[in-house]
Amino acid sequence: MEVIVYLLQGFAVALSPLNLMWCFIGCFLGTVIGILPGLGPAATIAMLLPLTFKMDPTGAVIMLAGIYYGSKYGGSTTSILLNVPGESASVVTCIDGYQMAKRGRAGAALGIAAIASFIAGTVGVLGLMLVAPPLAKFALSFSSPEYFALMCLGLAMVVLLAGESMTKALLAMLVGLWIAGMGTDLFTSTSRFTFGNAEMLDGIDFVVVAIGVFALGEVLGNMEGRSGTQMLPVPKGLRNLLPTWQDLKDCRFAFFNGSVIGFLIGVLPGAGSTIASFISYGIEKAVSRHPEKFGTGVVEGVAAPEGANNAETGGAMVPLLTLGIPGSGTTAILLAAFILWGLRPGPLMIQDNPTLFWGLVASMYIGNVMLLVLNLPLVPLFAQILRLPAYVLYPAIFGISIVGVYSTSSSLFDVWMLGAFGLIGYAMRKLEYPSAPLILGFVLGDGMERALRQSLMMSQGDLSILVSRPISATMLFLTVLILVAPLFKKANAWRVRALG
Amino acid sequence: MRPISFIVALTLVAIASPIAAQGFKPTKPIEFVTHTGPGGGGDVLARAIAGAMEKEKLMPVRMQVLNKTGGGGHTAMSYLVEKRGDTHTIAVFTGLWFTNPLMRPEANITLKDLTPLVRLVLEPAMLAVKNDAPYKTLKDFIDAAKQNPGQLKQSAGSIGARDWVVRQLLMKNTGASWAYISFPGGGERIAALLGGHVNIMLIEPQEAGEHIRAGNMRVLAAISEQRLPAFPSAPTLKEAGFDVPNVPQPRGILAPPGIPAEAVAYWEDLFAKFVKTPSWRKILEDGLFEDGFQRSAELNKFIDQYSETTRGILREGGIKVVR
Repeated sequence: MEVIVYLLQGFAVALSPLNLMWCFIGCFLGTVIGILPGLGPAATIAMLLPLTFKMDPTGAVIMLAGIYYGSKYGGSTTSILLNVPGESASVVTCIDGYQMAKRGRAGAALGIAAIASFIAGTVGVLGLMLVAPPLAKFALSFSSPEYFALMCLGLAMVVLLAGESMTKALLAMLVGLWIAGMGTDLFTSTSRFTFGNAEMLDGIDFVVVAIGVFALGEVLGNMEGRSGTQMLPVPKGLRNLLPTWQDLKDCRFAFFNGSVIGFLIGVLPGAGSTIASFISYGIEKAVSRHPEKFGTGVVEGVAAPEGANNAETGGAMVPLLTLGIPGSGTTAILLAAFILWGLRPGPLMIQDNPTLFWGLVASMYIGNVMLLVLNLPLVPLFAQILRLPAYVLYPAIFGISIVGVYSTSSSLFDVWMLGAFGLIGYAMRKLEYPSAPLILGFVLGDGMERALRQSLMMSQGDLSILVSRPISATMLFLTVLILVAPLFKKANAWRVRALG
Repeated sequence: MRPISFIVALTLVAIASPIAAQGFKPTKPIEFVTHTGPGGGGDVLARAIAGAMEKEKLMPVRMQVLNKTGGGGHTAMSYLVEKRGDTHTIAVFTGLWFTNPLMRPEANITLKDLTPLVRLVLEPAMLAVKNDAPYKTLKDFIDAAKQNPGQLKQSAGSIGARDWVVRQLLMKNTGASWAYISFPGGGERIAALLGGHVNIMLIEPQEAGEHIRAGNMRVLAAISEQRLPAFPSAPTLKEAGFDVPNVPQPRGILAPPGIPAEAVAYWEDLFAKFVKTPSWRKILEDGLFEDGFQRSAELNKFIDQYSETTRGILREGGIKVVR
């Protein structure tokens, strides 16, 4: 009951005309930067920070949070239409989203992404409102061994991402793990695979690998075909531009799965939305009645990861607001913003500033509705991009990719690397290696190695620390289960054949 | 106006104007480089300075923050070398700009290759434990570490960072030893401490303040010359009975190499004025920083001395020093 009283007060704050305006500006900016690859919410918030000093902190936080969760809505747009991940969490969306677009269902994919984002975003806020303090305690019980187990679980998803050949998927994943190991070793400060290049000291940026392998690889592959100037089919008529009832029905479980997984993983400060989207995609495929269709453009394959990366924002707010601990780049800059406004983020912030916290929660409900209203009408509009002839679209994708990469680091070296990864992506396509496992290995490799070494430092080299802690033991058990399941299936098939 | 004072005034103008003409004044927006990405320590400081400069109207132009991330600061440093002679570019430096070139063969640019302008702050730190830890003083912790060598754990950053240096100094001074577990982000370090997965951490006062106020953390000692005004009950390392050198984390401003002396003077004077403004005072207060203002002559001496101390500590810690 208390919650309702607080929430009503929060709505009173969030519905004031000024705060409504800030909320809209935030959501709008978020959508725009989400669509642009490269430029992410963290950089945008940092750029706007000086402007917020003169604002009331509540209005400012409502706007900046709007940019954060708004960017997750826009992130799917370029993934679906152009195979260019707008941000790291949207990589998984490329897998089925782009295939849907190829089959003329771009509108449905974009629409389902917006709806999944809305549902999961709202569930995330609900979680933030109702269970934040106990969940923050749960997050603290996670440490290096648990993170290692979580990363193993994530890596096991390769089994589900693999297409025709498991060997090829595993090879691609290993290359991803290797690329993740480049740069500076955190523990000993020695350089690995930098080839004496100072630019390589921090390793290779995610954006470079993802955009190179997905977007450039795809464009290079498509450029081979001489036929036609039309890239992808665009459905005629407004009705075909939006998801059907059947799509929504198919996604019932995906909405739920994405929301819950995204929120829970978001709460953990060391995990991140990319892992959340991979895991929820994996779960969706594992429970699906037609797992073999994943990767060919099924609507659940878009709904689950898009939901997960939106619910993650609500989750990431939990440690930020209840403990003052940031989990990701964007929440780190929100934390910096709180300090610059003189708010003192930490365990007492909600208690000290109830108006701010409840105003923010209420504004997130409003913001999610605004984003849905803002994004759905854009769907038919964006789908028209595919009408562009290839000789316009391909150079445009190249341009967008280069600008996106350059804008994150202002480094020409990264642009060359982008080209190199584009060629790798092209070679992988030609040789029929799936690219998602490479990205999976690359995303998880760094954190996984770190978590393992931290665990072993904690236990003085004793490996049993990984299985003696209940949470980590459970997750490792699940990992083993996922890994051996296909073997059992194979053995079974072999036995049936032998008997028959 | 009486003729005589008119003449005096004229002469004054005559004397003053060539100087004014020679004096440097920025004419287009300033590029303000930081090696951290948005939200990192250097980035936040740069943006706070840019905002405060604007508020105090000390400059005729705006400052635009440029994030040159990568290479442990090297990318930003080499960018500045490329900008040789450019009077419209400045950068925030941190302690990393000292240690990175010492440890990494690839990072072949040192602070001496650039033009140090001013030092702005010294960032103090504190050694903190979780509220339910059995250690009431730093001595309790050191004693426990002596009894169980290598068993206690510190959550920290990378090797060569300040938390590593303080640990090296304390271990050498006392003969105790404990594990050093690296986490890339400050949030993860704090989470590991509050979750009870490690025993101690070196934390910046601003990060620790709220956890201490909420009763989740306890300070054992302050890494600063004097007790910190915000935490008067925490003794300095010396007061706690450990005679180890103080390790401040300096932050300041520098420019590309080869800029004219007038530009150096302009920037020095600008920041000398800036550090007296209420906006800057507020940044210091909110960030719980120590005022560490130095002009370039003193700063150059400080850089030599700081690099030499760091070299010694790195060597003793078994790290290869490359320059």
